[in-house]
Amino acid sequence: MTLEVQNLHVRTEEREILHGVDLVVKKGETHALMGPNGSGKSTLANTLMGNPSYEITEGRILLNGEDLTEADPDERARAGLFMAFQYPATIPGVSVANFLRMAVNAKREEPIKVKEFGAMLKEHMDLLKIDRAFTSRYLNEGFSGGEKKRAEILQLAMLQPDFAVLDETDSGLDIDALRIVSEGVNAMRGEERGFLIITHYTRILNYVKPDFVHILINGRIVREGGSELADELEDKGYEFVREEVGAGGA
Amino acid sequence: MAPSFVEDRRRAALEVYESQEVPTWRRSGFWTTSLRGLDVDALEPKRYDSLDSAIVRDHLGDEEHAALIVQQGANVVHCDVTDERITVMPLEQAVEEHPDLVEEHFAKRLPYEEGKFPAGTAAFWTGGVFVHVPAGVQIEKPIQAVWLIEEPGTVQWAHTLVVVGENAECKVREYFLAPDFDGQALHAGAFELYAKPGAQVHLAHYQDWGSGDVHDLSVRRVEVQRDAHVKWVPIHLGGRLTKQTLDIITAEQGSDMRHTGMYFTERDEHLDLFTTDKHEAGHTTGDTVWKGALTGESRASYEGLIHIVPKAPEVDTYLQTHQMLLSPKAKGDAIPSLIVEVDNVKASHGGTVGELDPEQIFYMMTRGISRAEAVRVLVEGYFEEVVQRLDDPGLEDLVRRRISEKLAGAEDQVREFIGERAEAS
Repeated sequence: MTLEVQNLHVRTEEREILHGVDLVVKKGETHALMGPNGSGKSTLANTLMGNPSYEITEGRILLNGEDLTEADPDERARAGLFMAFQYPATIPGVSVANFLRMAVNAKREEPIKVKEFGAMLKEHMDLLKIDRAFTSRYLNEGFSGGEKKRAEILQLAMLQPDFAVLDETDSGLDIDALRIVSEGVNAMRGEERGFLIITHYTRILNYVKPDFVHILINGRIVREGGSELADELEDKGYEFVREEVGAGGA
Repeated sequence: MAPSFVEDRRRAALEVYESQEVPTWRRSGFWTTSLRGLDVDALEPKRYDSLDSAIVRDHLGDEEHAALIVQQGANVVHCDVTDERITVMPLEQAVEEHPDLVEEHFAKRLPYEEGKFPAGTAAFWTGGVFVHVPAGVQIEKPIQAVWLIEEPGTVQWAHTLVVVGENAECKVREYFLAPDFDGQALHAGAFELYAKPGAQVHLAHYQDWGSGDVHDLSVRRVEVQRDAHVKWVPIHLGGRLTKQTLDIITAEQGSDMRHTGMYFTERDEHLDLFTTDKHEAGHTTGDTVWKGALTGESRASYEGLIHIVPKAPEVDTYLQTHQMLLSPKAKGDAIPSLIVEVDNVKASHGGTVGELDPEQIFYMMTRGISRAEAVRVLVEGYFEEVVQRLDDPGLEDLVRRRISEKLAGAEDQVREFIGERAEAS
């Protein structure tokens, strides 16, 4: 069971951003995709989920062998893919609890029983140290940065996807919030799930140890390795990779 | 023969009606409401013997009422009053049976000179609705009035007078309904409500004239007297052409109003609303919120004015209006404005015209929710603020159901619109 990206070229209206990215994430593995600002990290995350603002000009996205390159975002979600957003949208008039119920039911034949849903919600909220009153607020409306990220991880926990992409989940979190979110992610790790953690900094990787690290610069993966690569990056910064690969093919 | 205060007004109004051309309303150069397509002379005030309408049952359900009065076409076809403390009857009958009470209030805020159709209504009204809730009477169940146009070719000249006595409390709902039919009809209505000192009134106007070629040209005015409080909820869910003036006047110290309106236009409907939040006395408060959504090739213009007259200090009021376009061919306007003729007041206003945000739709779809469902949820979420302000569970359910049905009908064009917008972004 894999999430596979083959020779992915992606562009926006203005220009090509990804110039042929290959990536394979197997179930049970945690991958970190690291890169400086503007390297194309968020473009990759959004393209994996089918954001219509990005156009795939070449390459494929496969989930468990199924070609999702042309699929709508909701089909991808139902096929088992999830993304925690860097900047999640606000959904006025829809409470956290109602939104979660809708999302959970979207993947099921029969709607979830009220009691079962309540128990599941309580369990995950306790894990993420989220207050009860939180669930009756409109999703992301007036949320702090930390609350938004927790709401994203709460959705991840409730939806139990096969593969989860975390787009800059660590950005804007203080150390306590980062620890809680990381614990939430760690609790979700296991044989039945693959993670792709997208980040600029190594901070989150001190809590969520990756099995593999990929470095993306200027729309290309330029270095790959184990978790020691993240440590090297922490010490030397992105400049060393840039120099090593010769200005990253810019 | 009706008393002279009615007959004299009819005669004078008829002169005005006959001397004036059919109006065209123009605003800021580009917004025009024209009655060119309406053939008034071909319409007639149809009379009916009894009420037999599925649409009334469908909208009112089996909710218990304090009174129900139904005018179909030109005459009242049903009137039952279950609460003997109140008076609800055809206005024609009230003019005969309660002449003093009617004369004291009748048309006080509805000058027939203000236009051709107000004059027409003053000259030709038949049947009519009269509601009187005496001082100190508190009723829980709603008083319901229905204006029904059952077939094309109908003209309905309508007049409703509601008097709520001192410290009385009540809920009044008017429905404006027609089945879907082919052909023209006109409802030209006048509505006036007087909330006496200390009265508490919960007023709703629910309009859904269906898909027929129904024109609605109406003026509605609500006067809030000393320390009285009125919540007013106009809901517009259908009508080929609607041109309405809706005014709420806090007329005496301590009066307070909350005005919550909504509209959903579709097909080639044309909606032109002008509301005024008028403060005629100091120490009065107001709170107005209007929200609308447009589909198809519909046009909707909402203009909301806050008017604070001289000698009305210490007023605290605000007005917000929002409009959401759901189709590439719909066009709308949402204009708040302000006339303040005195210092020392708090008055603010704001207005937005927007579209569904493709990022919101993308976000919801990444959670497995289909595009159609995401749109439905976002539009319902957008309206939820005003639906909750209806503060009337029966009406809330009806409005939610109708909006949901209308969205289902507009699904294809909304999808096309969002697709275009996503590509353009």
